[in-house]
Amino acid sequence: MKKLTTIALRYSRLWPAGRLFLLFLLVCTLSSSAFAQTGRITGKITNAQGEPLPGVTVRAGSNAVTTDAEGFYSIDVVPGDSLQISYVGFRSVSRLVAAGESLVNLSLEPQENTLGDVVVVGYTSQRKNTITGSVSTVNLNSISKTRIPEVGQMLQGQVPGVFVAANTGAPGDGFKLRIRGEGTLGNNDALYIVDGVPTRDIRFLNGNDIASMTVLKDAASAAIYGSRAAAGVVVITTRSGQKGRTSIDLDYFTGFYNAVNLPKMLNTDQYLTVKDMAWHNTLGNAPGATSPYQADRSRPDLANTNWLDELFTTGVANSIQLSASGGTDKVQFLLSAGYFGQNGIVVEKNDGFERYNFRVNVNANLTERLRIGTNLNLSYSKQDKLSSSGDVPGVIRHAMIRPPVLGVYKDPSDPTYNPANPYTDLPFYTGNNSGWSKNYEYSSNPLAIVHFTDDKRKTFQTFGNVYGEYAFLRDKSLRFRTNVGVDISFAHNKNFAENFGDDNDNDPAELYPGLGRNNKPNNLDENYGDVMTFTFTNTLNYLKTINDRHSLNVLLGTENISSRTTGIGGSRQNFDNSTDPFRYLDYGSDVNKSSAGSASEWNLVSFFASASYSLDNKYLLSGTMRADGSSRFGPNNKWGYFPSVSAGWRISQESFLQDVSWLSDLKLRASWGQAGNQEIPDHAYETLVTRVGGVVNTIRYGNPDIKWETTTQTDVGFDMALLNNRLTITADYFNKKTDDILLSVGLPAVSVGVIQSTYVNAGEVTNKGFELGIGYQNRDHAFKYSVNGNLSTVTNRVNKLQEFVKNINDDATRTRTVAGQPISSYYGLQFEGIYQNAGEITKQLYANANGALPGDIRFKDVNGDGQINADDRVFIGNPVPKYTFGLFFNAEFKNFDFSFLVQGVQDVDRYNDLKQILNYDSRPFNSTTAVLESWHGEGTSYTTPRVTFNNNGGGNVSSVFVEDASYVRLKNIELGYNVNLKSGSIKGLRFYVSAQNLVTITHYTGLDPESTSLIDKGTYPLSRGVLAGVRMKL
Amino acid sequence: MNRIIITLLAATLLLTAGCKKQLETDAIGLTTLEQVNEVPTLATVETSVRSSYQLMSNRLNILGNWDWGGGLVFQNDYVLQDIASDDVEKKWSPDGDQPWMDDINNFTFTSTNGGPNGLWKYNYEGIKRINLAIQLLTKPDIETVTGITTARRNQLLGEAYFIRSHYYFSLITNFGDVPLILKPVQTYQEAFAVAVRAPVAQIWDTIKANLATAKTLLPNTKYSSATEKWRVSRGAVIALEAKAALYTKKWSDVIALVTELETTGFYNLNANYFSSFNTEFTDNEVIFAYDHRSQEQPANGNGICAPLGWGFFAPSTDFLNAFEPNDPRKLYTVNAPAQNINKMLGSTDGTNKGNDDAPNNRIYIRFADVLLWKAEAYIESNNLPSAIALINRIRQRARTSVDVSGNLPPAGTLADRPASTDAGQVKNWLIQERRVELGFEEQRMLDLKRWGIAKQVMTAHGKNFQDRHYLYPIPQSEIDASAGTLTQNPGY
Repeated sequence: MKKLTTIALRYSRLWPAGRLFLLFLLVCTLSSSAFAQTGRITGKITNAQGEPLPGVTVRAGSNAVTTDAEGFYSIDVVPGDSLQISYVGFRSVSRLVAAGESLVNLSLEPQENTLGDVVVVGYTSQRKNTITGSVSTVNLNSISKTRIPEVGQMLQGQVPGVFVAANTGAPGDGFKLRIRGEGTLGNNDALYIVDGVPTRDIRFLNGNDIASMTVLKDAASAAIYGSRAAAGVVVITTRSGQKGRTSIDLDYFTGFYNAVNLPKMLNTDQYLTVKDMAWHNTLGNAPGATSPYQADRSRPDLANTNWLDELFTTGVANSIQLSASGGTDKVQFLLSAGYFGQNGIVVEKNDGFERYNFRVNVNANLTERLRIGTNLNLSYSKQDKLSSSGDVPGVIRHAMIRPPVLGVYKDPSDPTYNPANPYTDLPFYTGNNSGWSKNYEYSSNPLAIVHFTDDKRKTFQTFGNVYGEYAFLRDKSLRFRTNVGVDISFAHNKNFAENFGDDNDNDPAELYPGLGRNNKPNNLDENYGDVMTFTFTNTLNYLKTINDRHSLNVLLGTENISSRTTGIGGSRQNFDNSTDPFRYLDYGSDVNKSSAGSASEWNLVSFFASASYSLDNKYLLSGTMRADGSSRFGPNNKWGYFPSVSAGWRISQESFLQDVSWLSDLKLRASWGQAGNQEIPDHAYETLVTRVGGVVNTIRYGNPDIKWETTTQTDVGFDMALLNNRLTITADYFNKKTDDILLSVGLPAVSVGVIQSTYVNAGEVTNKGFELGIGYQNRDHAFKYSVNGNLSTVTNRVNKLQEFVKNINDDATRTRTVAGQPISSYYGLQFEGIYQNAGEITKQLYANANGALPGDIRFKDVNGDGQINADDRVFIGNPVPKYTFGLFFNAEFKNFDFSFLVQGVQDVDRYNDLKQILNYDSRPFNSTTAVLESWHGEGTSYTTPRVTFNNNGGGNVSSVFVEDASYVRLKNIELGYNVNLKSGSIKGLRFYVSAQNLVTITHYTGLDPESTSLIDKGTYPLSRGVLAGVRMKL
Repeated sequence: MNRIIITLLAATLLLTAGCKKQLETDAIGLTTLEQVNEVPTLATVETSVRSSYQLMSNRLNILGNWDWGGGLVFQNDYVLQDIASDDVEKKWSPDGDQPWMDDINNFTFTSTNGGPNGLWKYNYEGIKRINLAIQLLTKPDIETVTGITTARRNQLLGEAYFIRSHYYFSLITNFGDVPLILKPVQTYQEAFAVAVRAPVAQIWDTIKANLATAKTLLPNTKYSSATEKWRVSRGAVIALEAKAALYTKKWSDVIALVTELETTGFYNLNANYFSSFNTEFTDNEVIFAYDHRSQEQPANGNGICAPLGWGFFAPSTDFLNAFEPNDPRKLYTVNAPAQNINKMLGSTDGTNKGNDDAPNNRIYIRFADVLLWKAEAYIESNNLPSAIALINRIRQRARTSVDVSGNLPPAGTLADRPASTDAGQVKNWLIQERRVELGFEEQRMLDLKRWGIAKQVMTAHGKNFQDRHYLYPIPQSEIDASAGTLTQNPGY
């Protein structure tokens, strides 16, 4: 006691803040430990496969050592002590030492998700069983089997309360991740902390480099990240070397992918029959007349093309991951290199994605107290961007709408045939418009679009940190850490739009006579951009356990983030020569060339503190506070403050539960905290005027009072481990209330013209829900297995909106947000049936039939005024999934291992806009076979309206297109075989086969129920993959 | 060692404190509205007026990018005045493209239709831009701050009052009561507060007062600027005043104003009917047009020729049959076999068709139109001989125009209307003359509504025209955005 006090006093003289620690120390008492050296035990620790485990902690009484590179240890023991062996990722072993025993070799069993694991949380790390917030660690074994390149997407189905879905099925198109629902109408993306460096985008990251991933879900855990943490935080650390022998790991797989769940389209005969019927159902066409479709049946050039079959092929992916790690007492290192390449399921190679990764992680103990290190990732990715979404020139959409009567290629006898461009374009094109446009519309040939696409998106990114950490005090309990994070990315996009297709106007007087109608004239658009974000973090951490009773963890810190984005670009058109060597700006025409360049920047300055205290490892208390100043906000609201408190009670440590043998651990916890959101454009607080292109224009009205969106979250839960840690249960209830949601409100054009929306603090949204995670493992027999399931619910509701935004309508997403409804609920007319006869129409639409005819969709006349108009719109669907679940099963038997992941969502709606364009559009596009069931006389259908080129009601935003998008999917399934290795340099060898997206159960009729956009325009279908690979350890 | 660490710590804190400056950043490439208002530059003043013209142009996608459904791809006069009328069909061959245009054509549209939405947004975007210009030009110290000359300031302000009046004219003739916004909205809250409909009469008064002011500000020359002939002239202001008088049935004002325009001596009928459409600033007839030019940066060509290349806009049989035999105006308006709308293309041989950057101008007011206003006013004032004389002046010019092939029509074509004392008969002659003289010039539906015969004519044409269709619905998106302060027209 005296000694420590002296130390503390000495430091307090040097540095006034030391007095703070003195205060803590004074309440503590010292314990004395007895050292009695009576014996020595040596041995070797290995894993189940017999591979040595370096760095394993072996304790006996108060002594502790770690195993060396070969897994050997040596420790002094007192008889009666028990050996306690613990290692992250393995089940701890406690073994009584028998008298006279000197050699103890042990093999450790892997264990997933134990409460004793050390978890990286906000700026520090904690043992899982002392955490008082709601934190989920990710099962790395499970995510490693997803075999997908994007780390965020790997989290799908893995963690309760985390919803993940791919944006589209196209390689490199990104994903959406939501933690505990949709907290706001604006940016809901989680914050990622990679090796202490915050970022919003982790697409650069290689899954193989990850050592741990932790999801901070409640505000108490996330609040330390302040103004950017409202949507939750994912903390990721990358692997580092262990001291000991160098290990080299190689993983290779190759996979084959095919489009699944494609709609069944009409063939030529069906198409002509349906369009003939539609033509006769169209106003102005005489009933007895021969339709052009009937007439065209006799064409000799009539094809029967299945455009989807023509467009899709087998995609291939290859992944190679190589890493080397190792180290000494002083220096540990990890080097890794990875390649992932995928050619998507669309024909040709214009939908590819490639990523190269290089990583260097080095930690060095320069002195006993000073440690420095770096974690540095270099990545290069290249996407061949195919226009997979949207209308123009959306290849998938065109493959679906293009009539089957057209062939893929022109006949060489066709006068417009060109060997360099053999594709058909305009329907039956022979020259000036002879009626093809009205009969078959202007759809494009998707294979021609694919062939002529040349759109490369390249990104070079450097992401990482350099840190230094110095330990003060004799027991090194006070640590100062300085961390410089860099995130520098350069993007280079180059899109050459080659001219192709038929010359639709065929007009010699026209500006570019003779050119095809697509990309007229040809055009090169090229731009470079860079984003540089620097994060400078300094923390002071005091970590001390006093008298084995009082554990204290205090952290003070500052953080400074500055980000600057710049970009330049240029374009030219009318290249004389459009071959590859000429696809550079210099070789385009001087007419209509353009150049562009701009920049933007934002900065964040932060101060934060946290403290946690535990008494007897039983009663746990923590609090955090962060102050953030942001350039995003005006002088009225520059600073935001984000506090949190949380408490836990490890009830299983109480004496009255010590004898309950089936209960391994039980912790009750409760937390409250606030986190913020500042994801709005820069300068939203100012009204800005631009002067571009000869137009002086106010582009956005500012809101000088705009302030942080604040999420206040209360969480109660428990973590329980039963049956000697075999069964673990984690449950949480959360109530997440977001105030002052940041919302861009479209001002009425009448007042301000057509302008960008203004950001306001618009109202309040709550997300409430339960989360449950259950894991069970049994490794006692030859058949070893584990099951991890998770289920979460979210109920989303808008509580209130500001007076002038009584409702927020978004025409583009067909949604409306009002108080009392879930955020962005679908809003439109309510389908009620099909008008069977004229009497039904005059009865319902007595005031204004507006041209409705039998066979048209009957909508509900909500206000009963005898006409259907905007006043009859109602809420027709909720896009926020209510239940999200996942189940991971893993088993081993002898040399075989087997795993699968099932994942899904329940109670969610999606607007299937693809259905609209395929089956309800007024143009003669191809349709799915669903239209064969259409109404064609009284009583023939009560669900599918008549086919017609007029509006049959299908042009309205209505519940016809809102579908239940619930699904259950067998996301992946994998079988592996571990080869028995006698000796030699190969330490481990595993072969595996895997399948992705093998089974999906859903009622959704769109391409993929997983699609993330509110409006599913049918972008890029899901693919089913079959993979085979090998993993080798040297 | 400790001393080093403490120094480091102190440096860290200092660095962080110094970074507070980072929290104030300048918006790159943008100025704030306050900066523009307080210290405008001459360039800002000039550009603010010039960019307010843009919404009258036929550029494609001025607002948004291929927003067909929202009616924003081009300005919608073509749809709401021509396709809606008995003159024009959506396309040469009916098809399912742009069903919202069919809904306009068939009078089955609702408040979510793109047509009214587009018209509303084009006009109010123009009003927003011109309000900024007027605010700058009426600053008391604008001359000292920017160095603009008094003459130039007066000219720009005169143009600005005309432009604003033009946009409001379009709004009230289509929607009736609309919000009257005369100065830039300063805050976003104000944007909601001002979204309240004002009575049509009040807006007519504003238009007339603004035009009267504009007339005093603009030079008494044919063109306001010898080098920029596209700018609003004093003649254009007088013409719009006359048109406003016509729509408010102030017949004596119409006669007086058209007479005033005639006495300037700047305008006359061209010898050839088509010269208004294929010549620029060398003719006598065009009083106000938007000046398109090809291959300019930023692009300023006529875009409507592109939809013409896609088969949009075709004459109804009814319209083609409305022409008297051998009327040269028929082929100058439309070449049906070649599917060319010559007037909109500014050519008689298909030139410009499909070109989204064509040079031909968009005509708003030409002298023939003005003369027929005067004829209408004479009819309503029961001065039938003067009315007939004006109608015959139009017919005479038509029959003395050489046709597309360079030949004069045979004798007896478009004979003069005889004297008549039957006002109804003369009115019918006027109606007929306006239809063939001004076909495809976005006048027809406005005329039918002004004359109160839209329901009768459209019903005879087989269309479902109801009384509510005399006004278009206020766009639903605007009613929704205003949180209910904007009210809907009856019947929608």
